[in-house]
Amino acid sequence: MREIKYREAISEALREEMIRDKTVFVMGEDVGQFGGVFQATATLYKDFGASRVLDTPISEAAIVGAALGSALAGLRPVAEIMFVDFTSIAMDQIANQCAKFHFMTGGQAIIPLVIRTQGGVGIGDAAQHSQSLEAWHAHIPGLKVVMPSTPADAKGLLKASIRDDNPVIFIEHKMLYLNEGPVPEDDDYMIPIGKADIKREGEDVTIIAWSKMVVDSLEAADDLEKEGIQAEVVDLRTLNPLDLETILTSVKKTSRVVIVHEACKTGGFGGEVAALIMENAFDYLDAPVERVTGLDTPIPYAEPLYRAVIPNPDWIKKGVKKIL
Amino acid sequence: MPKVTMVQALNMALRQEMEKDDRVIILGEDVGLDGGVFRVTDGLVQEFGEDRSVDTPLAESGIVGMSIGMALYGLRPVCEIQFSGFSYHNFHQIENHAARLRWRSQGRFQVPMVLRTPYGGGVRALEHHSESRETFWSHIPGLKMVIPSGPRNARALLVSAIRDPDPVIFYEGKAIYRAFREEVPEEEETMPIGQSQRVKEGKDLTMISYGAMMRPTLQAAETLQEKDGIETDVIDLLTISPMDDTLFVESVQKTGRALVVHEAPRTLGPGAEIVSRLVEKAFYYLEAPVARVTGFDIIIPLFSRENAYLPNVHRILRAARKVMSS
Repeated sequence: MREIKYREAISEALREEMIRDKTVFVMGEDVGQFGGVFQATATLYKDFGASRVLDTPISEAAIVGAALGSALAGLRPVAEIMFVDFTSIAMDQIANQCAKFHFMTGGQAIIPLVIRTQGGVGIGDAAQHSQSLEAWHAHIPGLKVVMPSTPADAKGLLKASIRDDNPVIFIEHKMLYLNEGPVPEDDDYMIPIGKADIKREGEDVTIIAWSKMVVDSLEAADDLEKEGIQAEVVDLRTLNPLDLETILTSVKKTSRVVIVHEACKTGGFGGEVAALIMENAFDYLDAPVERVTGLDTPIPYAEPLYRAVIPNPDWIKKGVKKIL
Repeated sequence: MPKVTMVQALNMALRQEMEKDDRVIILGEDVGLDGGVFRVTDGLVQEFGEDRSVDTPLAESGIVGMSIGMALYGLRPVCEIQFSGFSYHNFHQIENHAARLRWRSQGRFQVPMVLRTPYGGGVRALEHHSESRETFWSHIPGLKMVIPSGPRNARALLVSAIRDPDPVIFYEGKAIYRAFREEVPEEEETMPIGQSQRVKEGKDLTMISYGAMMRPTLQAAETLQEKDGIETDVIDLLTISPMDDTLFVESVQKTGRALVVHEAPRTLGPGAEIVSRLVEKAFYYLEAPVARVTGFDIIIPLFSRENAYLPNVHRILRAARKVMSS
């Protein structure tokens, strides 16, 4: 299979869906002529024109509000919020409007809306451009939250998100955009929302991760193998709805769990995963569930500092060894 | 000592702090002439004037932005967001500015502000008016998040929050604003932020809760004692962030069993964080899975179905008995 970059997989998914369905359109800051700050919407403007690839003002609440209105009126908007940090400006539109409209209308309205955004620590992007805020969105009933780690998952999940009738928060990672991987060319290739994926099988310990931390976990697992430890790496891919079945199957096999995420620990999604494991697989656990996460601090600008506050393969290995 | 409601106790805290320190200013929608939608700021504009009790436009982001500016310039603003469901509008101001200005300026600036807001269900309110979203704030480094459970600790914690050098989110349970009275001393009283409290001592089961849910939790604890002979150790968190896990971890090391109660939706509610900490710090003491009695993962329903959503004594008892029998 041909290999393409993560960001190319995103634009390929958008292109295919825009060709297939005329109601699909893209909007956001610099998504048009400039092709997106990470070039994930590159060349769409040239091919589909300004009426389907809309450059918006720098106003996140208005972007999401306009997307919601167009979804209610029958279109399928894919709105880009340039950094997940800026979803805080659109939070009322997201949490009070998008997530609730279907419920408030007793099911009469559907909101087929995707908010594409990206998060995570990059290369010195500092406190307001580096966060991992998936926990906020995953705590809002009515939203789906998707966080792919590979180019193939990115394409398949984005296509599934666009075809979904509910609002989906689709969070990419800025350090994954240039990663390459095999991606199917089939127009109807999709990955169902709500299905985790076992990225590596193992018997000794389950590492649960998502987004870029899957890449770091796989690197850690390779190193651990040299020491005779077989780690299973479960990529959640979707946080809400969560694929608890895959998690529990793995936990029951290995009896030991490390959860890895880049977001700060307190209130992070790892807490929810640990609690669910406790509720559903308590009798299978042979050790405490370990969380390897970002520290509870804003993300610093300086390289030695930001490297000191987010997990890396060494932290993950230490976490695994702690519970073995 | 006079017996007062939580509304009166909060009013007392604001009045006394405004008397004591003229840097303390309140602002928000209808906090002045109207005295606040729940009357927490009643009478303050008459006593302290419009310069210190400021009626603002309906613009939550503006209210918080203005408070941050005031705090940076040396005042001690206490702003009110009329319902916590409206605080989505000021997310950016809180998380990208208030919470990190001390850190970004390497300690040169501080933001000593309090954001007071009523939260939770139980008063048959409308859409957007019954939410319990403490998780958002607890996941933001740099913020403190306090939820009192009654008049006396509400008054003491609000005073501590106003005097704190950093931004504090202060949630007030609507359901307990006037539900009961407690004796609150006239003289000054504070409570440390970041410390939980044991409100009932027992050896069999640890019950952890906070805010308005402390009432059904304590009622359930009483029934468990009387009908089942189960002695519960009940912990009132009081502060959600920074979370004091010392007391509940120590408690579970004694009881081996635990139950968490909150009205926020289950997924990612504070219960998840509490259970994780118990798994990390008391795993080898646990004799049964820790149970969570929470709101459901749905939008909190309108008033006709509200009671089906909120945890109640019956649900807490059922969970407690399950934990005790497993």
